[in-house]
Amino acid sequence: MANSNLPRRIIKETQRLLSEPAPGISASPSEDNMRYFNVMILGPTQSPYEGGVFKLELFLPEEYPMAAPKVRFLTKIYHPNIDKLGRICLDILKDKWSPALQIRTVLLSIQALLSAPNPDDPLSENIAKHWKSNEAEAVETAKEWTRLYASGA
Amino acid sequence: MRISTVLSIPKGAASILLRYYNWSVSKVHDEWFANEEKVRKAVGFLEKPVIEYPNVKELTCGICFEAYPRDKIHSAACGHPFCNTCWAGYISTAINDGPGCLMLRCPDPSCAAAVGQDMIRELSSNEDYEKYCRYFIRSYVEDNRKTKWCPYPGCDYAVDFVVGSGSYDVTCRCAYSFCWNCTEEAHRPVDCGTVAKWILKNSAESENMNWILANSKPCPKCKRPIEKNQGCMHITCTPPCKFEFCWLCLGAWSDHGERTGGFYACNRYETAKQEGVYDEAEKRREMAKNSLERYTHYYERWATNQSSRAKALVDLQQMQSVHLEKLSDIQCQPESQLKFITEAWLQIVECRRVLKWTYAYGYYLPEYEHAKRQFFEYLQGEAESGLERLHQCAEKELQVYLNAEGQSKDFNGFRTKLAGLTSVTRNYFENLVRALENGLSDVDSHGACSRTASAKSVGGTSSKGKAGRSKLTTSRSSSSSRNIDDTGHWSCEHCTVANVRSATICHVCQQRR
Repeated sequence: MANSNLPRRIIKETQRLLSEPAPGISASPSEDNMRYFNVMILGPTQSPYEGGVFKLELFLPEEYPMAAPKVRFLTKIYHPNIDKLGRICLDILKDKWSPALQIRTVLLSIQALLSAPNPDDPLSENIAKHWKSNEAEAVETAKEWTRLYASGA
Repeated sequence: MRISTVLSIPKGAASILLRYYNWSVSKVHDEWFANEEKVRKAVGFLEKPVIEYPNVKELTCGICFEAYPRDKIHSAACGHPFCNTCWAGYISTAINDGPGCLMLRCPDPSCAAAVGQDMIRELSSNEDYEKYCRYFIRSYVEDNRKTKWCPYPGCDYAVDFVVGSGSYDVTCRCAYSFCWNCTEEAHRPVDCGTVAKWILKNSAESENMNWILANSKPCPKCKRPIEKNQGCMHITCTPPCKFEFCWLCLGAWSDHGERTGGFYACNRYETAKQEGVYDEAEKRREMAKNSLERYTHYYERWATNQSSRAKALVDLQQMQSVHLEKLSDIQCQPESQLKFITEAWLQIVECRRVLKWTYAYGYYLPEYEHAKRQFFEYLQGEAESGLERLHQCAEKELQVYLNAEGQSKDFNGFRTKLAGLTSVTRNYFENLVRALENGLSDVDSHGACSRTASAKSVGGTSSKGKAGRSKLTTSRSSSSSRNIDDTGHWSCEHCTVANVRSATICHVCQQRR
């Protein structure tokens, strides 16, 4: 099984995630695959995503922690750095990954990305354009999407 | 290393600095002494650790979170502790990610401390370290403005460029010469731009197009180009078109017959031609044909010299590996006394290279520069025949001594002759290169003739002036008295070498004065 030979680092990280979760973030491993995590992030206050509950999946590849975890939004979200498949444009998930980073730090970074969208480094061209040309309207759309898709109902 | 002593930093740190500033020693000095603080920050040299654990026996690795005794833990200058296994994994991942590993930093995301070569050697596998070293050497060659890889296929050497040598031509230890500027093979006297144009032209489809234009006519119906290589004027286009037409007037064959001149002529064409109807298309075809012929002329000669040079290189190697030893046995000469043969062959190889490029030069020499063209062709012709003489001597005449049963008594004569021809040809070609690099500027100032007379070794008189060069031959004969120069020497009409006044026979080629 995938769970035999699970590195001690992953076990420790998992334990710590469960015992002292970061505020607004929950992550729990799947029962049949300890490398697969179900993640929930609360929309940060004073952001268009406030009040929303966003589901993500996180997977630790074989090379972890030498390679970055793979993370994806499952909940639809209107954000310039997240595309319609939920893929996230974040430097620490790509070339800025360091093995001294952890699941916790990755999820905190994603939470921060929700507070501070970066339309200059977009993944979703259309949304980024919208954000730059008319931010107020884009923020409205993001709020609307949060209500529609992330209301936790 | 010099840097490490001047800046009082360890060698490993010096190499990181050099790498960061693209191996420019002066740049490292400038930046370091201008703002040491800034440089340290940029490359990640810390003066003291960020964190210290003075009295702890065990430390926790920041990657696997395991506790280890101190000797199993390593840190960069910052002090962030990681275990040896995790370091190895971290370094290996970085090395396999590419040359970025040369600027490796501490794994801690908030820390920029540099990880140097010493640490990498200590903490990585041999295989990874080898790979790291390859990146290191590659960076030294590729990021350094004064070094380049030898472009010769399969050659592993890198070449250092000595600034101020006056020419862009450099020669690798593998004996391949190339132009530092454009990394094409050495191409003096032609400039890089012309070489690029010429190479492009040789590979471009444009010549094919010209050929098609010149040697074919489009089918009047389907417009596909048709080449007529034999047979009568009754052409049938290939299927699916199958249009039958007359090659001469390009009219439908159904309008033709005995009445219009039969299969081999076309009255309609003849009449129309007289009226000037076909002129334009015909003229275009004629022009394309001429330009193609002109190009082919130069290209063929360029290519011939190219292959001749390749052959000479093979002969030279053969000479060095087999013949010289044999010759030394037969003629009872130590091999050191046979160096003149190697020198002759090296000269041949070099001359073939120069001569080859003179054809690219000639191709781009504008038609309207009549005087220059004439002068150029004259110089080129002389170069060609001078080189032939040398090549002949080094190849055919040498053969006699190689096949001889025993020591030949005229071998010393042969030595004098070949050595003389080598030096004459070398001078001639050096002057030729210089003259061509100057854009034949002498022609502008004095007209074509004065140059041949004053530059003894370039112009060197020849008995076989050709019809097309009448202007030059006449002017030369009028200045033939100048063949005796100020020191009382006379230069041989055949090989251009200088002889003492008293001699009546050239000491090199044995021809009468």
